[in-house]
Amino acid sequence: MSIKLQNVNFIYGIGTGKEKQALKNINIEINNGEFIGLAGHTGSGKSTLVQLLNGLERATGGEIFYNGKNIYDKSYNMRNLRSKVGLVFQYPEHQLFETTVINDVQFGPKNLGLPQLEVELRSFNALKMAGIDDSLLDVSPFALSGGQKRRVAIAGVLAMQPEVLVLDEPAAGLDPAGRDEILGLLKKLHDENNTTIILVSHSMEDIAAYVDRLLVMNQGEIVLDGSPEKVFQFEKELEKIGLGIPQPAKVIHQLKEAGADIKGTPVTVSESVESIYKWLKET
Amino acid sequence: MIRDITIGQYYATESIIHKLDPRVKVVCTFAYIISLFCFNQLSGYIIAALFFWCITKLSKVPFKFIVRGIKPILFMLVFTALLNLFWTSGEHILIKYGVITITAEGVKRTIFMALRLVFLIIGSSLMTLATTPNQLTDAIEKLLRPLNKLKVPVHEVAMMMSIALRFIPILVEETDKIMKAQLARGADFESGNIFHRIKSMAPIIIPLFVSAARRATDLALAMDARCYNGGEGRTKMKPLKYKKQDIIAYLIMLLYITVIIIAGKYLPF
Repeated sequence: MSIKLQNVNFIYGIGTGKEKQALKNINIEINNGEFIGLAGHTGSGKSTLVQLLNGLERATGGEIFYNGKNIYDKSYNMRNLRSKVGLVFQYPEHQLFETTVINDVQFGPKNLGLPQLEVELRSFNALKMAGIDDSLLDVSPFALSGGQKRRVAIAGVLAMQPEVLVLDEPAAGLDPAGRDEILGLLKKLHDENNTTIILVSHSMEDIAAYVDRLLVMNQGEIVLDGSPEKVFQFEKELEKIGLGIPQPAKVIHQLKEAGADIKGTPVTVSESVESIYKWLKET
Repeated sequence: MIRDITIGQYYATESIIHKLDPRVKVVCTFAYIISLFCFNQLSGYIIAALFFWCITKLSKVPFKFIVRGIKPILFMLVFTALLNLFWTSGEHILIKYGVITITAEGVKRTIFMALRLVFLIIGSSLMTLATTPNQLTDAIEKLLRPLNKLKVPVHEVAMMMSIALRFIPILVEETDKIMKAQLARGADFESGNIFHRIKSMAPIIIPLFVSAARRATDLALAMDARCYNGGEGRTKMKPLKYKKQDIIAYLIMLLYITVIIIAGKYLPF
């Protein structure tokens, strides 16, 4: 189970004289069960890339393989792909439309043509997983708070039980508590259901602690690919493309540059604190 | 997908026509449209076409873009043409078949009518191609200002127009986003009969209305926060002022009108 992109190119506005290359020769392979962070500056092509993954946009060049099958084959079932690769857009709460929360969540699984019982089961499970209280099931989604709406919208995609879940800035505009809740939910989903998760964000700080693999994009190209520890070694390069590394990693870097003998490459605050303690004890 | 729709189709380039005061363009377009009804013979059409061709060359807008304006009204054009063709009575009957009669006068009238409509459309589409929507509303506001005396809220109407125009691309983009999001949830907008398809639009229409209402509230709040209170005493960042080129443009237009009226009266064909 994997997604493989081969020499993928994407050009906006072909034939209008205002062509813009959004993706340049993308070659990546996303393996089953990975938790991937896709980082990049605004306009670097992240959102375009994720829309290619479930066939909402069509690459202008190159091939995409899902589980070994070319999704651009004429016989390939695009709707089936969309049920396997779930995509949560930025501000997903703007897509709520039903009269009640439960109805809205059922929209996705119903479109899959599942039996009613299965639809309900999946929807309840998804809402539970997203942390929506049972008392809210029959409430209008428009009456909820911002964070709740976001979680209902994400539940709407979860209910389709995709094998791969792609989220575009799921924490944008939420307070720190809301952000941790959403990211924690994704972590749980990844650990318990072995769902492949691709998390798009421009904030390295937010995603560093959660992801196993980090892809960094700049001007339509993937410039760095590796574990967060490895990617954060390239501080200068990251700063050049306007991203910068999380503060704890930065502190460690500067200590190392000043001659401190700190072992490992911590990413999160707690890891950094720990390694600094260790180093202080040793000296 | 839906993003390909263009409304308020400004063609950005540098030209004398683009630089003219928008009021000149509005007034001259009106004058041109009226001039199309001041003659009824071939020579008039030739003059009108030549004049239009010169202005197009000056505006540097590719002819392709101008012709595109005809497409949406093509049906109406054909319909009126057919009506004229079959229902004009005259002496020189060309074809008579059952109830269908086509006369020479009918053919002539059909051709002229169609030409007139085409000139009318491409004339006004040249104006919208060479003027930004904001300039247009500015011009309309200024031109209609005398109506203020009759208690017509000219400024407010113009403001509403420019807000509406400004929001078209935003809402188009929003529609595109919502559509994609629902497609990602397995929505199907293409199959089924017409009723089914209308029903399947609900997941797009409802979020779109909600978001339009939200944006409107936000905008109203932002305007309030900047103490917006209508047109009274409001100054402009770029006030419209006639320059030498605008006067020349008016004079050229006047010359064209004179020529076309004289041609309409005295030229024999």
